[in-house]
Amino acid sequence: MVGRAAPGLGWDRVRAALARMDLLLVVLLMIAVLTALQPQFFLTRENLTNVARQIASNAVLALGQLLVVVTAGIDLSVGSVMGLCMTVLALATKAGWPALASLAAAVALGAGVGAANGLALTRLHLPHPFIATLATLNVARGATYLLSGGVPISGLSPEVRWLGSADLTVFPGTPLATAIPISFLVVVALYGAGTVFLRRTPTGRHLYALGGNPRAAQYAGIDTARLLVLVYVLCGALAGVAGVLLAGRVNSAYPTAGIGAELDSIAAVIIGGASFFGGRGTPGGVFLGAVIMGLLRNGLNLMNVSVFWQQVFIGLIILLAVYVDVLRRRAAQLES
Amino acid sequence: MKRIAFALVCLALALAVLAATAGAGPRAYTILLSMKGPGSGNPFWAAVERGARDAARALGVNLVVLSPPAETDVQAQVAILEDQIAKRVNAIVVAPTDVSALNSTFDKARARRIPVLFVDTDATWPHKVTFIGTDNRAGGALGGRFLCQQLQGRGEVAIITGVMTTQSIRARVEGARDAMRRCGLQIVAELPANSDRALGQQVMEDILTRRPNVRGVFAANDLMALGAAEAVKARGRTGQVLIVGFDAIPEAAQAILRGEMAASVAQNPYNMGKFGIENAVKVLNGQTVPKRIDTGTTLVTKQNAAQYAK
Repeated sequence: MVGRAAPGLGWDRVRAALARMDLLLVVLLMIAVLTALQPQFFLTRENLTNVARQIASNAVLALGQLLVVVTAGIDLSVGSVMGLCMTVLALATKAGWPALASLAAAVALGAGVGAANGLALTRLHLPHPFIATLATLNVARGATYLLSGGVPISGLSPEVRWLGSADLTVFPGTPLATAIPISFLVVVALYGAGTVFLRRTPTGRHLYALGGNPRAAQYAGIDTARLLVLVYVLCGALAGVAGVLLAGRVNSAYPTAGIGAELDSIAAVIIGGASFFGGRGTPGGVFLGAVIMGLLRNGLNLMNVSVFWQQVFIGLIILLAVYVDVLRRRAAQLES
Repeated sequence: MKRIAFALVCLALALAVLAATAGAGPRAYTILLSMKGPGSGNPFWAAVERGARDAARALGVNLVVLSPPAETDVQAQVAILEDQIAKRVNAIVVAPTDVSALNSTFDKARARRIPVLFVDTDATWPHKVTFIGTDNRAGGALGGRFLCQQLQGRGEVAIITGVMTTQSIRARVEGARDAMRRCGLQIVAELPANSDRALGQQVMEDILTRRPNVRGVFAANDLMALGAAEAVKARGRTGQVLIVGFDAIPEAAQAILRGEMAASVAQNPYNMGKFGIENAVKVLNGQTVPKRIDTGTTLVTKQNAAQYAK
């Protein structure tokens, strides 16, 4: 590898350029291409509002998933937990609970399932989070069908729906009037909080230490078991929040909600540059990962392209994103 | 880096020019068809899509077909509808993936005066233009009358029901029950088998044990009918007990050709797509359309089973 560090060769320069390419550049490029391809539709306020709304629940799931992935873990249950929280939210509302209590119940339930995941890992010593969360994936989905009887529960109150469906209109009454979905503001707020948590708090820093080298973290006096439980609790609670947003958006808790959503959240985390071996990944990157997936789906929908192609493209983007990451790390190694 | 960016911008511009020229042409209605799954892989949706394409070609309509990857992916269908509403399609023909979760999306279409027509599956949204689909009650009656005719209105028959929370299954059973009662057949058993093949077989075994004189069975779908046929075959009574199913799936059509099943009731998915586009155009031209349009059912027997057997 050292021998290939000679500068001036075309391929190496391209590789170095690719290695420095940022996710933000990819997003800007996608926006440019989509604007060129769909000039009348893509950059309209209505369409951008749609994209913001469409990425909300996946972005929130991905934030929780990132926390888990930073500790070198994985949470397969987030999609099912989201569906379960939606059903409980709807049932609580139908039972006449006040809006705030129903919302709190949904998020608390998510946190509870997350705690079960974390405890299964740290107390029962299940060998890998894959197993504990695969179990809760099935339990939560089954519970959702049992609680709902397999039929959707619809007609939530406007208060419960507010987070997922309302818009904040800026510059009302002027030609610049733009509707910003509340759900998108929730996403921005959560990602801001996530960034502060991971960067500025000791607990957040410990997460990277734990993911990078668990043994070393333990020797450094970090209570790794407690930290792991906390991470899965946060991930579950965020799945609850994602459920609140989605239920509000569709005004219904349908029993199949969130099937396969765990894979989308993992995809956003990987595209966003987090390492599956732990210790690496930022909320900013994962946010852009979710945006890239949202823009891709929106653009292909606007261009009337079949969803099968959307799956192909998202697969290719995962490959490309990870390959660029590999190149970047090699370049960094060569420089040092 | 600059070179890559330049190349990509060139590519984007070239594509934009292509897109612009491809989109040029006389002004025609653009209609979105969104089914519960893509046509490729599922013969039912493929037939709906074929009907829609034929009607669109005949009427000069610009047809856009976009469906979620799976019947359970409600979010994907919501996104497809939102994006196409933002693109201002003229009308939406949709088989909703959930009876109520898409209602707020349909509201957005309504706010922009885009008419919404349901095909195959009805939803709870009150502002639909029409629901175009199978009259399951009439289909059940068709199957029941076939048994009446074959048995000349005499003897014992049984009904194998499916998941009774499903509206379509309940309607099929009601239609068949009424028709068979009216012609004098004696319904000696009505047992549920959850639309499942293995359960259908088990239920049929029980019926044959308790009611050995049973001469006909109506099953609310083909999977249960195929299971029942298996049970009859195991007793060596193939042909003595007439089995009628519903849906005319290829495997059932093959069983009919082999004489293991007597008949099945076929839906007409082709008509769902065809009527969907035709009625969307009618609405756009200011004509009124009925709130409920039946796409009809066809009795599949040995005479015509070959075309359903693939």
